[in-house]
Amino acid sequence: MTGFCTFLACATLALLLPSKLVAGTTDDALLQMGWDEIVELARGGEVNWFMWGGSDEINQYVSDYIGGLLRDRYDIVLNRVGVSDTVEVVNLVLGEREAGNLDDGAVDLMWINGENFRTMLQGDLVFCGYPDLLPNNVLVDWDNPAIANDFGVPVNGCEVPWSTAQFAFAHNTALVAQPPRSIPELLVWIRENPGLFTYPAPPDFNGSVFVRHVFYHAAGGVETLPDAFDQTRFDDVAARTWRILNGIEPSLWREGQTYPATIAALDQLYANQEVAITFNYEPATIGIGIENGSLPPTTQGYAMTDGTIGNTNYTLIPFNSPNKAAAMVLQNLLLSPEAQIEKAQPGVWGAQPGIDMTQVKGPLRAAFDATERHPNVVPVEDLAETVLPELQAAWITAIEQGWIAHVGNN
Amino acid sequence: MIGGDGIWARWFRTLTCLFLLVWLSLPMVPLAIWSFAHGWFFPDILPQEWTLEAWRHALSDKSGVLDALWLTVGIALAATALSILIGVPAGRALGMHRFRGKAVVEIMIMAPIIVPGIAVVLGLHSVFIWMGLTNTVSGVILVHLIPTLPYVILVMAGVFANHDPAFEAQARSLGASAFQTFRCVTLPAILPGIIVGALFAFLVSWSQYILTLIIGGGRVATLPLVLFNFATSGRNDLTGAIGMLYILPGLLILLITARQLSGCAGAVGGLGRV
Amino acid sequence: MYRHLKITLMLLPALAVLGGLFLGGLFLGLMRSFNYMPVIGLTRPSMDAYLAIFSDREFYRSFLLSIHISFTSTLISCVLAVGAALLLRRLHLGRTVITFLFQLNLTVPHLVGAIGILYLFSQSGVFARLAAEMDLISRPAEFPALVFDPYAIGIILQYVWKEVPFIGVIVLANMQTMGHDYEAVARSLGATRWQGFRYVLLPLIWPGLLSASVIVFAFAFGAYEIPALLGAHYPAALPVLAHRKYTDVDLAARPEAMALAIVIAVLSAVMLAIYIRISRRRNGC
Repeated sequence: MTGFCTFLACATLALLLPSKLVAGTTDDALLQMGWDEIVELARGGEVNWFMWGGSDEINQYVSDYIGGLLRDRYDIVLNRVGVSDTVEVVNLVLGEREAGNLDDGAVDLMWINGENFRTMLQGDLVFCGYPDLLPNNVLVDWDNPAIANDFGVPVNGCEVPWSTAQFAFAHNTALVAQPPRSIPELLVWIRENPGLFTYPAPPDFNGSVFVRHVFYHAAGGVETLPDAFDQTRFDDVAARTWRILNGIEPSLWREGQTYPATIAALDQLYANQEVAITFNYEPATIGIGIENGSLPPTTQGYAMTDGTIGNTNYTLIPFNSPNKAAAMVLQNLLLSPEAQIEKAQPGVWGAQPGIDMTQVKGPLRAAFDATERHPNVVPVEDLAETVLPELQAAWITAIEQGWIAHVGNN
Repeated sequence: MIGGDGIWARWFRTLTCLFLLVWLSLPMVPLAIWSFAHGWFFPDILPQEWTLEAWRHALSDKSGVLDALWLTVGIALAATALSILIGVPAGRALGMHRFRGKAVVEIMIMAPIIVPGIAVVLGLHSVFIWMGLTNTVSGVILVHLIPTLPYVILVMAGVFANHDPAFEAQARSLGASAFQTFRCVTLPAILPGIIVGALFAFLVSWSQYILTLIIGGGRVATLPLVLFNFATSGRNDLTGAIGMLYILPGLLILLITARQLSGCAGAVGGLGRV
Repeated sequence: MYRHLKITLMLLPALAVLGGLFLGGLFLGLMRSFNYMPVIGLTRPSMDAYLAIFSDREFYRSFLLSIHISFTSTLISCVLAVGAALLLRRLHLGRTVITFLFQLNLTVPHLVGAIGILYLFSQSGVFARLAAEMDLISRPAEFPALVFDPYAIGIILQYVWKEVPFIGVIVLANMQTMGHDYEAVARSLGATRWQGFRYVLLPLIWPGLLSASVIVFAFAFGAYEIPALLGAHYPAALPVLAHRKYTDVDLAARPEAMALAIVIAVLSAVMLAIYIRISRRRNGC
């Protein structure tokens, strides 16, 4: 009885405790500080990093490796919060602004790019103007348009690059000896091999980028599309794209009556030979999947002769983060060559650096050059031959919504 | 006995019994196998490679699975304790007294059993944002009271309906204090009911998904959320191990309280929402 | 007077929690579904969200799908549960074992069951592999589509798996309490086995069966995680659609999500009314 009462008292107390302490430094004051001051301010604090949490390997890299360094060097506690879609985090910050929470948000850092970045900018939800303060920012090649623009939207000091990625396909060598190596070839292959191909339904990130490859093909090349969204051009190309996609639908898995909801669902179909081809914006996941037993060892990644879409992904601090200094220390650590090299290891993650490795000299550079790619992952050189740019977010949203209306819900 | 209980009929029954046994435990089988497998693909009937890796990982500090387990236990215990604290007096009022508006009160207590969480929680989300309760454990405990409290009240109302207040009056007339009376007379009489009510409340809270997801905003990562994440990210080995961990407490509780449960079918009805 | 005060005090915390959280949540959902929220500057209620969902074909398909899921799984669960109870009630050992197994099954969360069903019944799942082993199929596509399918077979299988024990326990207990007397009398008066069931046993277990069915129906109609895991991407079950709209980046979709929540609430209110009518007619547990 006494124990029970104590327990009740504890439970009640837990309910009454204040949820959080209020932050002290204003954004302007922070931007005036030197780096050492920022580090001192951040020391002993915590940082809540919200990120897509669907990969155990990425989670471990962040929680163990990065979290360990952050604790040992700066006495900062890293709370990694996994979400199944970054949209949820955008919504969270948006909801906080709606509810008037302007300086004590739940999110200190988010892993982001593309549409979500645009939404954050449009909603005025981003803390900007600080990357120059980070010492490792000198390693970022801001002259590269693929770094300085996030899906066509200028970054303008509102986010910091983390990794670069390029879309790649993979085939099960036990089922297909010679995979189709261009989008037109793939479209023919699908008809000749009914039931062995499908793609996740947009707005799934990977499904959406697959549809964009078809959109580029229908347009006659991405270079024929203007940077700014153009409704007439869109209507014209979209009509052709839907015709192509609806045309292959009867030859897709389940005759296209349903689509896998996520890339993980597609990978499951692929692993069990329901389909013969999969793809991913992060080609290194193939190696990770083979090692952890979620993909068959007969999987081989490959590049397309007509190129695939590449992008950069970033980290961003929301406007109402209460731990901005700690978030900046974390971002600086993420940019450091040693953290980037660790991230590029095939057993860790295999992601390509977001910094310019040619700027890095000495043993670190040698360590990076010695990094081997997993043998089943497509070689970087094969991919880099033709990198297709991402469209501006307005195009992407229009393509996703058009797909849902004209292909998915048809 | 109704006639015609020939050997065939008996065989038929035994077979049905066996079939039910298999059918009931069947979905657990692939989960259990996956938790010991490394890569188990079509058309393999059994994995080519067995390993303890998933269990090792799930039970290590790194994966956060154990944190989620304790968090879920803590939330369920807190929601249960609060439900008992609030639900026992309410059950007494409903079980032992007649008053005006009783029917309305009963409907209100019944409503959360029938009305699904998603219908309520979307609206509730904005209030919780204003109150600073979203993304907090406290907020999740509070929102779990919506489905847990009605079961405790219903069970306790049933218990108190058969409770004789004369004993309490007698104890008081013999000089016992209100607390002594409660401790020594009322509590022993209603304790079995409290145990059953607590069991329901715990299991109902234990299995909540959508309430925790929306109010906890993904930050309060209880076991069902972790399980759903792994199940939809393709790590079937970890999904299997976490799934096994997730059903364990329910089984333990049932084994401990099976006797209290066997009497009352309506009470078991409470488990319909688990 | 004192008595009233005492009763009020005993009920107050419970009513505060349920009134504040449950009714409060419903009420706010209702206000937001009309895009009316003076606190954040939305002062003009509008019907736009309802017009938007009621003019969308996806809503009707989702609604029908959810009704189909609830109705079919409730019906199948009831039939199987009553059948199992009838067969097993005389088997003394069997009944103890099965009752315990039923209860055991009741403690397993739906989510775990759903994952199990997925691993069993997908086109490359355990049953498909057995079929391949027996040379019934040569590749996964030849196995019938039982999950992510347009008829929601996987979802229904999961509910049946989970709800047969739930209904079964209730029906078995009802049969247990009434004993064999009524039926024996009926039989001795010349009733056939079917007549004994139809006119004696069924009316006795009917109220319990019906109220269990209402709970099952309402649950299957409003649950999110099972159709989210086992359903086809289009049309999605109503709760999945509501959640999708609620987490849409486009804030305009939020009132629509609230409107869907209200639709779910209205349907479950009907279920509640039925449930209360039934429970009024019988007493105790």
